[in-house]
Amino acid sequence: MEKRKHKNAGALCVDLAGLRLKNPVIAASGTFGYGQEYADYVDLNQLGGIAVKGLSLKPRAGNPPPRIMETTGGMLNSVGLQNIGVEAFIEEKLPFLSQYDVAVIANIYGETLEEYSKVAAKLSAAKGVSALEVNISCPNVKNGGLSFGADPKAAAQVTRRVKAQTDLPVIVKLTPNVTDIVLIARAVEKAGADAVSLINTLTGLAVDVQTKTPRLKNITGGLSGPAIKPVALRMVWQVAQNVSIPVIGMGGIMNAEDALEFFIVGASAVQIGTANFVNPRATMDILDGLETYLQENKLKHISDLVGTFKVSGI
Amino acid sequence: MMPKDIFIGEVFANDEVRKDHFLMKIYLPPAFGGALPGQFVMLRIAGLADPFLSRPLSIYSFTAEKHACVCEILYRVVGKGTKILAGLIEGSQLEVNGPLGTGYAMPDGAKNIIFIAGGIGVAPLSLLAEHLCRNRCRSGGEMTFYLGAKTQEQLVGVEKIQTLCYGVHLCTDDGTAGKKAIVTDLLRQDLGNYRPEETMIYACGPKSMLRSLGTLLDNRYRCQVSLEERMACGVGACVGCVVAVKDERGDTAYKRVCADGPVFELHQIVWD
Repeated sequence: MEKRKHKNAGALCVDLAGLRLKNPVIAASGTFGYGQEYADYVDLNQLGGIAVKGLSLKPRAGNPPPRIMETTGGMLNSVGLQNIGVEAFIEEKLPFLSQYDVAVIANIYGETLEEYSKVAAKLSAAKGVSALEVNISCPNVKNGGLSFGADPKAAAQVTRRVKAQTDLPVIVKLTPNVTDIVLIARAVEKAGADAVSLINTLTGLAVDVQTKTPRLKNITGGLSGPAIKPVALRMVWQVAQNVSIPVIGMGGIMNAEDALEFFIVGASAVQIGTANFVNPRATMDILDGLETYLQENKLKHISDLVGTFKVSGI
Repeated sequence: MMPKDIFIGEVFANDEVRKDHFLMKIYLPPAFGGALPGQFVMLRIAGLADPFLSRPLSIYSFTAEKHACVCEILYRVVGKGTKILAGLIEGSQLEVNGPLGTGYAMPDGAKNIIFIAGGIGVAPLSLLAEHLCRNRCRSGGEMTFYLGAKTQEQLVGVEKIQTLCYGVHLCTDDGTAGKKAIVTDLLRQDLGNYRPEETMIYACGPKSMLRSLGTLLDNRYRCQVSLEERMACGVGACVGCVVAVKDERGDTAYKRVCADGPVFELHQIVWD
């Protein structure tokens, strides 16, 4: 493991509505396991935060394989939110993460409002969780399987229920599979979300032309990787202009320049996802690049860059 | 076990040993340390955007020299990633992530050590046979290798296993090399000679071969198999490369081929 040399650590600290991070680089949920998986490659103390693999009330087996397929500039996955369940996370994984000076962001999901409430309550009672990130992209079983995140009312309901169970900062993670993401962002802000993170994966499909069958057993999957970055940037830009809570940007960030684009269009922090698969040290490389950019551009603090996008400058 | 890391490797040979089959030799820094038989590496050409993901490949041979480690990869060209690897010339650099995954369990004094492989599945078992030869005092068993392939052109790695094993039985589906048979039938004919309590079996090959091996060998036989799956991360984070496995209590769960495997007990695998 290579050690990083700090240039000016204080220039990167951020406060996201009560969630204080020593830097704005967070490992994205579902791409960094429970931290342990990357501890050989990355000094976890250097990270701003780790959004752990999505947690549900009960352990979940996930979807049958094949679950992943490489596509141009990215990949599809249909893991189906396999996870060990919130209790096993608290008992088995949280003690490991607590050894590190890193914000643990517990990503949660449920199939009903009750499930969201219960998972949120359990994590709030545990020591060592810094914030909750609420995945609202999953189907609402009581509403014909329509995703919570596709309906402003349902998204607001989930947000309120989770907020009622916790004093931790609540980040709502938005799905891009909607007509107008701003409507959803506004709805969750009104319902009390402390921050929003976006974007989750875009639903996609890949076909085997020999067998004429889908490449994934689940048929469709979530597209991630650099292929989705322009979509993510557009959505972060739109949302950042229309809410007053902090926006955490993600979607195809592979390097520092990609991350900088997100800050410029209004993100206060970024999450690094699929890049970890390709380069386990991606988060560290991005941190180094951010520090260099601030120095070279004589910026005192990363926040000086947030929302500096000039649409008239072209 | 050695900590995982990413190393820059330098290709110093990449020869087509048979049509579409290549043997790549890579120099790695001494810090790579070592590799257990059954472990694999993720290979990637730094900066190359397409293919997007690294490729998992099992380690065929490994030697630690004073100033460098030499890692050999025997692979078949099956798609975009391996095609690009096949085009690498001497002096090319690669990102090598590893060593990854679990290794095979040692045979614990078994009298008969049986290897059974299909096609390119010969690669990880060759490293194991080499390892057991070097550590004769720990194994001591008699090693027999059953290797099958579709056709003569896909029967690779034979010379090496012939120097390592007491018996080598070859077959092809079309009879162009060795017996005209499928490899599990070859083992079936000899199985009476191997008493389960004195035998350890190691297998690697296509799913269809492993599945029929599961039917051929009853639960008295101990058989370890290494599996191959599409992977994204190789370190257990993406949970993309899973296989259904039954635990001691009989509960089925999806296990990650990259981190919980790639070596599994044959009788624990649940075939769909």
